Order: sequence, then C-alpha cells, then structure tokens
Amino acid sequence: MKNLSFRKMLGGVLAAVLALSLAACSGSKNSADSTDKGSDGGKASASGSASTDNGAIDTSKFVTVSYVMLGNKPTNGQFEKVMEKVNALLKQKANANLEIKWVEWADWQTKYNLLLASGESLDLITTATDWLDAWPNAQKGAFMALDDLLPKYAPLTWQEVPQEDWAETKYKNQIMMIPEDHYTQWVNHGFIYRGDWAKELGITSPIKDFETLGQYFQGIKDKKPGVIPWDSEGTNLEMFDGYVNSYSDAISLPVSTGPIGIFYAPSYDQKFTAGSPVFEDTFLNFAKLMKEWGDKSYWRQDVLSYKGDAKTALEAGKSGGVEHHTQTFLGERYKMDQLQPGSELQFFPWSATRNNLVSMSITHGATALGAHSKNPERALMVYDLLRQDPEIYKLFNYGIEGVQYVVKDGKRYRPDGYDVQKDDFYSDFWGGRIDKNEIPDGTLWDGYKDLYASYDQIKKPYPYGRFVFDKNPVNNELTAITQVVSQSLPAIVFGKAGDPEKAVNDFRNQLKSAGYDKVVAELQKQLDAYKQQIGG
Amino acid sequence: MASTTARRRGNDFTSAAVRGFGYALIGLFALFCVLPFFLVLGTSFTAEKTITLHGYNLWPRDFSTFAYKIVFENPDLIVGSYAVTVCITIVGTAIGLFIVAMTGYALQRPDFRSRNAISFFIYFTTLFQGGVVPFYIIMTQWFQLKDNYLSVLLPGLMTPFLIIMMKSFVKSIPHAITESAKMDGAGDFRIFMSLILPMTTPALATIGLFIAIGYWNEWYNAMLFLSPNMSYRPLQLFLYNVVTSADFVRNSSVASNIQPRDMPLESMKMATAVVATGPVILFYPLVQRFFIQGITVGAVKG
Repeated sequence: MKNLSFRKMLGGVLAAVLALSLAACSGSKNSADSTDKGSDGGKASASGSASTDNGAIDTSKFVTVSYVMLGNKPTNGQFEKVMEKVNALLKQKANANLEIKWVEWADWQTKYNLLLASGESLDLITTATDWLDAWPNAQKGAFMALDDLLPKYAPLTWQEVPQEDWAETKYKNQIMMIPEDHYTQWVNHGFIYRGDWAKELGITSPIKDFETLGQYFQGIKDKKPGVIPWDSEGTNLEMFDGYVNSYSDAISLPVSTGPIGIFYAPSYDQKFTAGSPVFEDTFLNFAKLMKEWGDKSYWRQDVLSYKGDAKTALEAGKSGGVEHHTQTFLGERYKMDQLQPGSELQFFPWSATRNNLVSMSITHGATALGAHSKNPERALMVYDLLRQDPEIYKLFNYGIEGVQYVVKDGKRYRPDGYDVQKDDFYSDFWGGRIDKNEIPDGTLWDGYKDLYASYDQIKKPYPYGRFVFDKNPVNNELTAITQVVSQSLPAIVFGKAGDPEKAVNDFRNQLKSAGYDKVVAELQKQLDAYKQQIGG
Repeated sequence: MASTTARRRGNDFTSAAVRGFGYALIGLFALFCVLPFFLVLGTSFTAEKTITLHGYNLWPRDFSTFAYKIVFENPDLIVGSYAVTVCITIVGTAIGLFIVAMTGYALQRPDFRSRNAISFFIYFTTLFQGGVVPFYIIMTQWFQLKDNYLSVLLPGLMTPFLIIMMKSFVKSIPHAITESAKMDGAGDFRIFMSLILPMTTPALATIGLFIAIGYWNEWYNAMLFLSPNMSYRPLQLFLYNVVTSADFVRNSSVASNIQPRDMPLESMKMATAVVATGPVILFYPLVQRFFIQGITVGAVKG
C-alpha cells in the first residue's frame, strides 16, 4: 500500500517535471520566434527607410551602439578618458554613442557563445572564423546578414573590401561579417635564435633548416656552459608542425586535435585531400631527430613537466632560443636589443626551408552584427568610422597622443615617464584594423619590412576561409584522437618516448584504434563538398 | 613495591615513547600540509626571473613584491572586490543557512506527508540539470538578473547536498520533542526557532561553513552574469581575471598583436592565492570544533 502510494507520487512528480519542461521548451520557442520576427521587422524598416529617404541617412535620433570586444577591460581609468573623446567624435559624425561590452579571458569561450546564444540585443561583435566560432554562430542565426546594409551605411568599407574577400565571409550566400582583410599580421611559427652566438659558432648565413639548427644547438652545448640550447615549455609542440613544414609541402587543415593539429593536405596543389604526415616517413624521421636531440640535452631533461616561461630564460641569457611566431619575434628582437645589446636575435621561420607558407585567414579578425541588433544602420556607420576615420581610428587603437603615445619619425613610441600601470590603454579592436591608418610601432624591430617582403614573395592565399568542418558525425573519434595526441605526442616531440620506431608505431596504432580512418573519410567527404561549393 | 614502580616506569616510558612517536608523526604530517603553503608564500615574494632560472623556493632568493604590486595595481578595485565578496558571503550564508535548516527540518518531520516526494524533487536536481545555456537564458532573459548581485547570491542559497545533510542531522532529534512542544501549544515556527535550531548548532556550523566557503570561492556565476560594466565584482573573479589575462597575453597566438606587458606570471599566481585564502584561514579555527562534530554526527546518524 505504502509502496504503491510512493510509486504514484513518483509518477506524479515525473509527470510534473515533464510537463514543466515541455512548457519551458514551448515558451522559449515562442519567445525566440517573436524576437526573430522583431529583428526581421527591424531590417525591413531599415531598408524601407533607406528607399524613402532616397540616399540621405536619418541620424536624428541619438542611439547607443554596443560592441563586443574580447579582452579584459582596462582598469586604470584611461579607457573611459579615451572613450569620452571617441564618443564626442562619434556623436558629431553619426549622432551615436559607442559602448564596449567586454568578454574577459576568464572562460571566454563559454561566455562568448553564451552571449550570442542568449539572444541579447548586441550590435557589433568581434568574431573570427579560426578562433571565435564565427561559422557555428552564423549557422545558429546569431548574426544579421549585411548585404543590403553595407553599401549604404558603411560605404568606405564596402568599397575597400574586394568582392573575393566578401565572398569569404558568406554563409548561404549572405555576408555574415566584415573581414579584417587590410591588416598585415603574421603568426607563422619558427625558431628565434641569437645571431651573435650563431656567428661565434661559425654559422654565418641565416638558419634555414633543421640541420643547421642542430649545429647551432650543439655549438651552444659545447661552448656556452650553463646555457640550455632551447629552454622550452613542455606544452609547445609546434616543432612537429615546423618539421612537417620544413620537410614536406603539406599544409595544415583547419581541424583541431588538441595541442596541435595532425590533419594536413599533402600540398597546396592537393589542398582538398585529407591525410596526416604522422603516417608518413616524415614523422618517423622527425621522431628520430628529436630523440637524438633530446639525448644530447638540447633541452632540459624535465621538459615535459616544465611550465616556466621560455622567453624569460632567453632574456636572461640562459637559453639559446624560443619557438614562437613572427609577431613575437619582432617584439622580442626589440626587447633583446635593449636587454642583451648585440644579441642580434634572428628568426628561422619554418617556411624558410621549402618556401612552404600559407597566408593567414582574412577572417582571423572580423566584425559581425548581432541578429537582434536594434540599430543595425547606426552600428555599421560607427564601424565605418572606427575603421576609416584616421582620427577616430588612432584614438580608439592607441589612445590620446601625448598621453599614450608620441610619434617620432613616423613611428609610435611611449612618451617619457610613461607608467604602464597608470597610463596603459588598449581597446582590443581586433575586428577591423587597416594598415592605411596604422602608425608603425617603434617597439617592433625595424627589419620587419624585409621579413614581410620575403613572406609576400612566397605566400599562398589561405584556402580554407569558408570551410567549416562539421564535427558531429565523428565527434567521438575526434575526441579520442585529441586524447591520443595530448597524451603521446609531447613525448615524441621532445624525444622522451624511448625507441622512436616503436613510439611512432604505437602512436599510429593508437590513432587508428581511436578512429583515425573514419575521421579522414569524413574530412575528405566534406572537403570534396567544399571544393564543389567554392570551385563550382 | 619496587616491581610496581618499575612497571609503572616502564609504562611511562612506553607511553612517552608512543606519545613522542605520535607527536612526531602528526607534526611531520602537519609540516607536509603547511609546507606547500609556505612554498606559495615564498614564491609570491620571489622575482619572476629567479623562479624561471632556479625554480620555486621556500625562502625567496631574490625578494620582490612586484607580483603584489600588479595584483594591487588599483587598490580601490581590490578593496571593492573584497567588500563585495564579504557582503555576499555574510548575507548569503545567513539566508542560506536559515533556508537550508528550515527545509532540512521540514523534510524529516514524519507528519509531513509529501516529504518523500519533495526530497526526491530536490535530489532529482543533483542528477539532472538543464545545462549552462538554459541556466544563462533563464537568469538573464527571464529573471533579468544580469549585472545584479542577486545572480550570484540566489543560486547558492540552497544546495541539495546540504539539505540532505541537515535532514539526516535533524533526524537524530527525537520526534517526541516536537510533539511535546506542540502539546504545550507551540507553533511549528516556534518549535523550529526555539527548540530545533539550538539543538543543531554543530550541523549549522558545518553547513554554514560549507555555504560560506562556497560563496567565498564563487566565481563562475559571477563570471557569467556580472559583466565588467559593474565597478566591483567578487574577489575570486577579479583575481582569476588578473591571472588569466596575464597568461593569455603571454602564451596566446590568437591575439597576435598584443604587446605583452612584463607580467610576473608565476609569482602572481601565488600572490593571488595568498590574497584569496587569507581571511578563510583566519575564519576556519573559529568554527573548527563544530565542524568536525557536525560532519561526523551527520554522517553516522544518516
């Protein structure tokens, strides 16, 4: 009897829970529908007003435009001072006020996507296809299509970005974001080493391959007591990518497998073929070389668990180099010229051996418009001003001249007596910088122009700008592969996995049993479809 | 006679030896517990370069307060964060304790008919949850609690685990007491306030400490719902942000163009740990004696 009543009760509770959840579901669906309609209505009225105005833009109403930035809000009060000036200009030119909404580095991946999923009315949003989930969010309808709005409300940007670049931003034939396509940045990795030591060791020409790099390491080992040839964090697996880049024509596919991607296309000409150098001799040779280097102690014995900062060791003259990207090199070179004068820091980009260099995606930085934006027209006008108006651009990117920066010989420096704690300003505007309005940073090494020029000669356009790998069919396999990569690859990269042949074999077997073949097949299928989509 | 003294002396000797051994063992154990904290303290006062070159040290080789300087870069911010956290912890613990105690008491009353159903309902939420997105949408869109301290306060008020713990503790108080009080004419609330609460001090201290520590360490809800537009946010979120931003700026290839500031990352992590743990360490000894009693009683009788 008692039992029965309990069971009844349980049933009742469950039914209530079910009913509640159903109600909640339908409720949210309704509200989503209504907001969708709302935004459609807004768009319709926008284009409507555009046609009636016959070209003239109505800015009589003062509005506030929000812009979602990635980064931590500056806390020293400088940000407010700069924004006051920016807003004074924006009021004058577009009768609008700009409000920055920060997504901080504390769990930013979650928060960024939550912000977009919640349906809040956001206007401008920093996004990116390679690190900020621009495509998944576009699929979910988080962004507003820009095709009709751009020519009228952001005319300068609309003309500046060429049609083929707009094409890169399209989802279902609609422009989803404005690319940061007129801004030069290079984050291709390589090895940063000391030019003065290389000379001392008899390496007179710039290092361009792993053999010479090995000579450099050995030289330091022999002649520089107390210096670790390469003091690295155990988390840096870029050496793998570097070797693949240097000894094959393979180019990396945009599929994440944890600490480093292992999926590549065999060459630029075969960019729609999926595979992995892990299953080729390149990888075995790499494992052998790394075992040799590890045995010769080119890096510390406890490298795998080491968490220190490699740059600090280099700056203290205790390490022969750092593995990182071009931009880091340019800043580090300038810094080292002050800290260790005469160190002549040099850079061996992994692309140097075989000229194997692919440009960065033009949507590494981009700006989208929120689907529930209340003032899409004014938001785009503000964007156009931020990007194109030199005065606003400089204010918004560098701060106030004389306080945050001074210009000497056309370069940007910090004023005398600059105190980082008190005077620092940044706006993390990563969604629309352009070279035209930039003042070169005096604290970047001068030689960057030559380096960039050498890249420009060999670079190939990024081929996967619009490729969105749909992970769903192989989610489990991909997770398993990521697990294998994070667990086994570091030991191979730092030569700590014992006999290289056996280690490579084990690694391959683990990948196979994690479902490597299935992922490659799925990847191939989607690449074929992508090829059709863009190539016709 | 002689033999008894001898025996006693022997006893004294062994017990002293055992005691000495015990003290040594416990002392050693305590040392192992305390050492890491001193390592944290020492590291927080060491210059970053020294850490990179020589590793962590109990005693700073190269005394530096730079890490604390960065953490306390804007003193008003950290004071404000402290104030927010202290307020939330005090208010949250007071209200939470009251509600949890009341719920726990009500749920074990044999004359409360749907106690099992409601217990199940509470238990159910520990097994099945909506997930982050629905939670976020409900909090921000339905309750409009974005940038509102309530969004940090409310979710922590009732924890199923603590309710169950309270329930099993109150069970140890005979129902007869409630009944006799009832016969004397006391209402339910009166019984709860003047009879049950005083008898559950150990449980209250334990649960209170759990709730307080929960609020003290709270950063996730704050991260989700309190945007940087708020001038002051809880301490843990503030400190977490200081560390993650330094970490991010230094190690990321995502934001290729940030000029990294010289951040003493390792020593800064330790400094934030010291700043965050300080008050809890002072608070803990005060409730410690209730704490042990509360946990064991609740567990054994449960």
